[in-house]
Amino acid sequence: MIRRYAALIRNAWLVDLQYRASIVLWLLWGVTEPAIALGIWWAIAGDGSVGGYARADFARYFFAVMLINQLTIAWDSWYLDRWIREGDLNYRLARPLDPAHEAVAENIAYKARTASVILVVWLLVAAAWPAVRLPFAPGRWAVTLLAVLLAAAMRFFISFTTGLLAFWTTRATAIMELHAGVSLFLAGRIAPLALLPPAVAGVAGVLWFRSMLAFPVDLLTGAVHGTDAIVRGLAAQLFWLGVWIVAYRIAWSRGIRKYGAVGG
Amino acid sequence: MTFRILAAFWRLNVVEELQYRANFVASVLGTLFSMATALLTLALFFHHTTALGGWDYWEIVVLLGVFNALTGVIEAVLRPGIGQLAGEVRSGELDLVLVKPVDAQGFVSFRRLDIWRFTDVVLGLALAGYALFRLGRTPSLAQLAAFGLSLAAAAVVVYAIWVVLMSLAFWFVSVENIAVLFDAVYEGARYPVSAYPGALRFLFVYLIPIAWTTTIPASALTGRLRPEVGLAAAVVAALAFVLARALWRAALRRYSGASG
Amino acid sequence: MPSIVTAERLSKTFQVKVRDPGLRGALRALFQPRYRDVHAVRDVTFRIDPGEIVAFLGPNGAGKTTTLKMLAGLLYPTSGRVEAAGFNPWTGGPPFKRRIALVLGNRQQLVWDLPPEETFLLNRAIYDVPEGDYRERLAELVALLELADVLQKPVRQLSLGERMKCELVASLLHRPPLLFLDEPTLGLDVTAQEAIRRFLIEYRERHGATVLLTSHYMQDVTALASRVLMINRGRLLYDGALEVLVARIARTKRIELVLGGGDGNRVTPEALASFGEVKSFRFPNAVLEVRREDAPATSARLLAALPVADLSIEDPPIEEVIRLAFARGVEEDE
Repeated sequence: MIRRYAALIRNAWLVDLQYRASIVLWLLWGVTEPAIALGIWWAIAGDGSVGGYARADFARYFFAVMLINQLTIAWDSWYLDRWIREGDLNYRLARPLDPAHEAVAENIAYKARTASVILVVWLLVAAAWPAVRLPFAPGRWAVTLLAVLLAAAMRFFISFTTGLLAFWTTRATAIMELHAGVSLFLAGRIAPLALLPPAVAGVAGVLWFRSMLAFPVDLLTGAVHGTDAIVRGLAAQLFWLGVWIVAYRIAWSRGIRKYGAVGG
Repeated sequence: MTFRILAAFWRLNVVEELQYRANFVASVLGTLFSMATALLTLALFFHHTTALGGWDYWEIVVLLGVFNALTGVIEAVLRPGIGQLAGEVRSGELDLVLVKPVDAQGFVSFRRLDIWRFTDVVLGLALAGYALFRLGRTPSLAQLAAFGLSLAAAAVVVYAIWVVLMSLAFWFVSVENIAVLFDAVYEGARYPVSAYPGALRFLFVYLIPIAWTTTIPASALTGRLRPEVGLAAAVVAALAFVLARALWRAALRRYSGASG
Repeated sequence: MPSIVTAERLSKTFQVKVRDPGLRGALRALFQPRYRDVHAVRDVTFRIDPGEIVAFLGPNGAGKTTTLKMLAGLLYPTSGRVEAAGFNPWTGGPPFKRRIALVLGNRQQLVWDLPPEETFLLNRAIYDVPEGDYRERLAELVALLELADVLQKPVRQLSLGERMKCELVASLLHRPPLLFLDEPTLGLDVTAQEAIRRFLIEYRERHGATVLLTSHYMQDVTALASRVLMINRGRLLYDGALEVLVARIARTKRIELVLGGGDGNRVTPEALASFGEVKSFRFPNAVLEVRREDAPATSARLLAALPVADLSIEDPPIEEVIRLAFARGVEEDE
């Protein structure tokens, strides 16, 4: 299995190499949204603070969003939708390899490449701009890494499962876009959850949205205090990861069954 | 000549698209959803402040309406045709386009229409109108004229930016998603220029002049526009168009020299 | 020797949504969907022994690809039984998939932006092919298909023929005993088609693989397949050797003439018409169609009566034979 993953990741890495110009553009697009949000909050915060966030806090928050969003975002619903509609699923099903492994390997290769770019940029910016510097805290960073892995895994399964809806509908990507639109607020992409109306932030915490992005970001910037809060956050991530893995398995077995009935 | 050929393509397009009524519903729903998201985002900002860059909530909603109208034009007219270009450069199909007795730039830009996207224009203008109503302001005839002109200038600037991107597709042949670059940067046009802190403002006014495209027409509607700024906008538009076309011609020369 | 593929009363019925035109129809389809049955494969039974090359022949929509997909495990039968390489294809899982190769003519598994070698390496890992075997098999396949200078170029720069050859290499690295090829020569130029046919014969010769292919091209069938399964509208019309089919169906023979004579007394089509049906006439070449049993006698009369430079008796083109078979069904000898 390890050899297969090594081969899959190597393959994906080489393909990405061919598309590095495109990847740069996608990176720019991924960075623009947090950058503009930062710009606006920076203006609003002025010399004071908003909901406990001063300008420097916003800067650290949105740089963390840039990095962690890049590490956790999953595009697989679009690929899967295309595979199913264009018949590219057939030869994958005839191989002794579950297509999900290929998708995971692609994620690993792509994220290693793009996240390292963002990390380097952050380090460079931090050299010139004190506002974005984080205190050296290896313990916290280790926990953050764990949270990031859990978030990335969960978002993968959300994306993959949504892509599997293409077995039943032509609008699978629309559903994914709906989810992305909601997570703009609830996952903390447009603002820290603390700045949302409390009821809305509550929904984000009760559902899986906080586990997607906001929690790992808060961990990294030190906005989560106390072992208790950390443990509860990680437990929520584990819970929702489990839920989405179950959803994926159901969607896959039902979807394959449907595929075997009507073909591609 | 070019126009007649384009008209023929458009007629075919429309007949094609009318078959897909589901596309219409999906398109409208999509636009409404993104507009709702934008309004909610704005509401969130205004939960914590009373003005952004000196603009109050409904003034920014006017700008949002203009933004939607402009993106509607982009999605309806420019993106379908230009979206094909990168692939055609790669596969060599572009040669088929270049031998036609038309102006290549005009043809590539305008050859396909996604007619359902014109509803975005209608929705955007409707939103702007509603926001003006909430502001209690009725634009004077002069203001409406200024709005019309600055909107036209804005469309020209946006088109010029697209032509530059199209030309880049000749150098960076592997760039399929050059439109992504536009989307990324154009997000900055959602807010008035004055809302951004210094560095970003410099970027959006001088380097990538998108600020002109929404802030100025919206200013015209809300009565904030100073005449000299409006004039400058027209000059910038003309300049942008000339520069973009020059870049396009250079790119085409290089392409025709390189291939075959 | 047990069969490697068995199909018993295999059937596949698709349920297709019925959609009335117009807006009301669209709405109704959304809330009260109605379905109609499409019988893609009906009651098909056959057995294939190891080492055979078998061709599925039939017009578009006949059910060939659907049958192939059921054999490969991509679709499950509505009724009937199917077994391939010792497994039920639908439930066979990875052990089954290691014993087959599926090549679809219109979709490729080669990674577009990288050299084919990268896809080969990927398949080596996916199928767990040992290093030594991989090198040996790759060398053999590359030699047989003459691909040596192509392996380093990205797939997108290869011609269609080169790509198909690379597809075959990628599919055979794990040396499966059973190959499913759906339209393998589709869209290829003549040289490439012939190269692939030669390769398949040679490969079968060396390794005893069983090959099932679907095709439109008669040359595929005549060059490769000892056995033809004719499918039309989901039913198996004929299962057997090609020559036997031709003999059964073709009740006519073609007499191909090269006419002599100068400009003074040129033979006219009207003159020929009394001997048989004139299928084509382009001086000096002409083709006549006569009843099979009349062919020798008519030929003798033609040679005696007209200035004939050359004459030969042929079977009608196989395409026509097949078309007749589909139109009329295959009856026993009368």
